[in-house]
Amino acid sequence: MIGTFFRKMTGITQSPPKVSGAEVFWSWLGSFLGIAAVAYLNVGFLEKTDLVLIIGSFGASAVLIYGAIKSPLAQPRNLIGGHIISACIGVSAYKLLVVYPWLAAALAVSVSIAVMHLTKTLHPPGGATALIAVIGGPKIHNLGYVYVLIPVAAGAFIMLAVALLINNLAPTRRYPEYWI
Amino acid sequence: MAKEKETKSNLPEAGIELKEEDIITAMQQIPGYVDITPRDFKEIYLLAFQHALERLRREVTVGEIMTRELVAVHTDTPLAEVAEAMGRRGISGVPVLDETNKVVGVVSEKDFLSRMGVREPQNFMTLVSSCLRTKGCVALPIKKQTAGDLMSTPAVTVSPVTQVRDLAKLFTDRRINRAPVTDAEGHLLGIVTRGDLVRATLQVDRS
Repeated sequence: MIGTFFRKMTGITQSPPKVSGAEVFWSWLGSFLGIAAVAYLNVGFLEKTDLVLIIGSFGASAVLIYGAIKSPLAQPRNLIGGHIISACIGVSAYKLLVVYPWLAAALAVSVSIAVMHLTKTLHPPGGATALIAVIGGPKIHNLGYVYVLIPVAAGAFIMLAVALLINNLAPTRRYPEYWI
Repeated sequence: MAKEKETKSNLPEAGIELKEEDIITAMQQIPGYVDITPRDFKEIYLLAFQHALERLRREVTVGEIMTRELVAVHTDTPLAEVAEAMGRRGISGVPVLDETNKVVGVVSEKDFLSRMGVREPQNFMTLVSSCLRTKGCVALPIKKQTAGDLMSTPAVTVSPVTQVRDLAKLFTDRRINRAPVTDAEGHLLGIVTRGDLVRATLQVDRS
């Protein structure tokens, strides 16, 4: 019994192959331009306002939508749906449980994962988006549900536009695999 | 070693053993990062393979549903005998064989009707009405003829391994109600009718 349990930790297969140099280049270019677009707009238009356009979870989204573009996790449905759903849940968790930040944080992430599963929108950075709504500090908290629209939805759509342009410029790439 | 054993017992057997190296090589041929482990791919492949086998097994062939009781006439069989055989057996069409017993055509009620001067629609009541309007029997013009004169030729034949789905399409496209089943040399093995097709549908649903 115990032996079987620990043997399950040994792994059963080898790691998938490394990608080509061209792939590395396109992943780099896409993520550079995607994050550049969001960060530039953030500095250019929102610096003097209380709004922000860039949050940490976009770095994680960049890995998927520019680096692992065939993955179901990286498709537009998951990118947009996962971020927006998680943002709603994150803001709600903070508002409802503001006196228990640790519980708000845990529920924001766990409920987001469950709801993303149920809606077929699983997108790992969504978990970060939900968490940021709780632990993001006063600037994020003051946004309230505006957080769902800006930065989350707006940023995700900008990143998606860059992904559609850059991924399809690459001769060996095609994005997305599906929309809905 | 324990790893190996577990892999084997968990997965169903497929016709070809797929090695992990094959999967890795295939993944390298696909540009870009493929978001699946070689083992997961193998598992999906093997399960999908099983489903494909089951699907193919479920597909019924003509050989399984055809009527093997052979009723056939020869090209030189007089039409009186052909009509008699069809009437006695209660069938509406019969394959016609040449001297080497190869299927060369089919004689059906419609062939009789058309040669007896029955215009569209070629059915029994049209025949009755033309009978009632003329003197004498409308079958007289073909009295001296044989099956070879009347048959529709070449025969639309099928093989025993034809899929029932293709048979349904053939019946619909060619507007026929039966097809002789022949082997590769054209020898008669049986006949398959729309009735057989309907019964086959029931069997598939039951199983």
